[in-house]
Amino acid sequence: MLRKLLKHEWKSVNKVLLPVNLCIILITIVGCTVLNTDIFDTEESWPIALFLLIFYVLSLMTFASITLIYIYVRFYKNLFTAEGYLMHTLPVTPIQLFHSKLIVGFSWSAFNCLLTLFSTAALGFSAIVAVAKEENIDHISRFFLDDPIVNNRNQTFSFSEMFGYPPATFLILILLLLLTGCLVSIIMGYLSILLGQLMEKHKLAASIGFFIVIYFFMQMVTSIAILLPNSNALVNAMDNDTSVYFMNIFYRNLFPASIISQIILSAAFYFASCLLVRRKVNLD
Amino acid sequence: MTLIECNALTKKYGNFTALSNLDLQIESGHIIGLLGPNGSGKTTLLKLITGLLQPSSGTISINGEPVGAASKSLISYLPDHTYLDRNMRVRDAMDFFEDFYQNFDSMRAYEMLAQLAINPNHKLKTLSKGTQEKVQLILVMSRRANLYILDEPIAGVDPAARDFILNTILSNYDENASILISTHLISDIENILDEVIFIQNGNLHTHASVDDLRQKEHKSIDTIFREVFKC
Repeated sequence: MLRKLLKHEWKSVNKVLLPVNLCIILITIVGCTVLNTDIFDTEESWPIALFLLIFYVLSLMTFASITLIYIYVRFYKNLFTAEGYLMHTLPVTPIQLFHSKLIVGFSWSAFNCLLTLFSTAALGFSAIVAVAKEENIDHISRFFLDDPIVNNRNQTFSFSEMFGYPPATFLILILLLLLTGCLVSIIMGYLSILLGQLMEKHKLAASIGFFIVIYFFMQMVTSIAILLPNSNALVNAMDNDTSVYFMNIFYRNLFPASIISQIILSAAFYFASCLLVRRKVNLD
Repeated sequence: MTLIECNALTKKYGNFTALSNLDLQIESGHIIGLLGPNGSGKTTLLKLITGLLQPSSGTISINGEPVGAASKSLISYLPDHTYLDRNMRVRDAMDFFEDFYQNFDSMRAYEMLAQLAINPNHKLKTLSKGTQEKVQLILVMSRRANLYILDEPIAGVDPAARDFILNTILSNYDENASILISTHLISDIENILDEVIFIQNGNLHTHASVDDLRQKEHKSIDTIFREVFKC
């Protein structure tokens, strides 16, 4: 039955989220094409370039928000409004319903995050290629191959020395951070909606209230998890004169702490959600 | 055979008691009218049987099993409002029912759609409210279920549509199955009912055979209802 639920959930969600995410691909292609022309070579065109950059960033933020909000709205509308009368009378268990929403919601959220990362990387790469027409492209590519390079303050450093990890490990950690971030966001939204259902009245408003409370709680936990164990290292790094050394310490400690705290929060939110889902529905 | 058994069933919404200590048994193979004025607890009872609400106390069993995934496969439920995603095409709704209910007869459903000249490729939101209700009724009655629960199936539709709906109900249900219909429009359905259940203020007032009640009171069910629930 879970497979059937997933099939129909995909079908419904794709209708909305496929066009939204195709827009990201479209603006990326347009952006890369524009960057590879010479229209921004003159100083007069820089305000337009700045405007397009702001438009691009705002577009990515809008598409990411639409994706996440739609996933939350879909969960609420499909399970706790009129459509819930159909979903909760299907011969499936409440936990199967929850898992189908979680799998599809997480998959779309992760896809959106990866697409955003890919879009930013593609535009960044296009910009580097465009700039490197005038400067030395070897300099940049050597940096991404983890070879030492010299900056304009005559400091010599490699990618590993700057970011604390070799480029491939750094990329894997960014991906892990994004995926755990997507997972915790989706479950946090679902948990807020499920908590809102415990209220006698104003369930939607209560869900929004729970979301805000859980969001601040999550931010607090994550900040403590990142800063507390690493406070000495970060203070020492700040005392050190080189910003490169500070970034190294910062990233080396930030990634594992963030990823682990997000996994722990996801697990906690997931088990809380499962408990609430098993509590059985009351569609007033 | 007992299809539904409610024991001391109570449902409270805060301080308001919607159903109070209800004891009820419904047997297979009957068409039962669940009758009562607005706010008497009819919809609450139907939602408890379908698992959309949880009882505050008491128990319900369907075919001897508690309400759950297994009991839901036996019940075909028509709520008093549209519950389909309005962005769906009629065909998508058919596929949905076919996927989830092994007892869904899609051939019969498409035949009924053709009789009503409803195009399966149309989106539900492009259909009138009455036509959406007909699509929903076709979906529900195209299942070979043990129990059909119909909440106000004829409210808000024109008399011609009422005839179609009642005809659809009568011609599509299995004789071993039961139909529980909640309505205010008693005169329209009186002739198809085997039993009636009167609910008043969340309490069971009467549960009797239609023939016995008519013979005893020498009145129609509609008249008895008007007398019992006179304001």
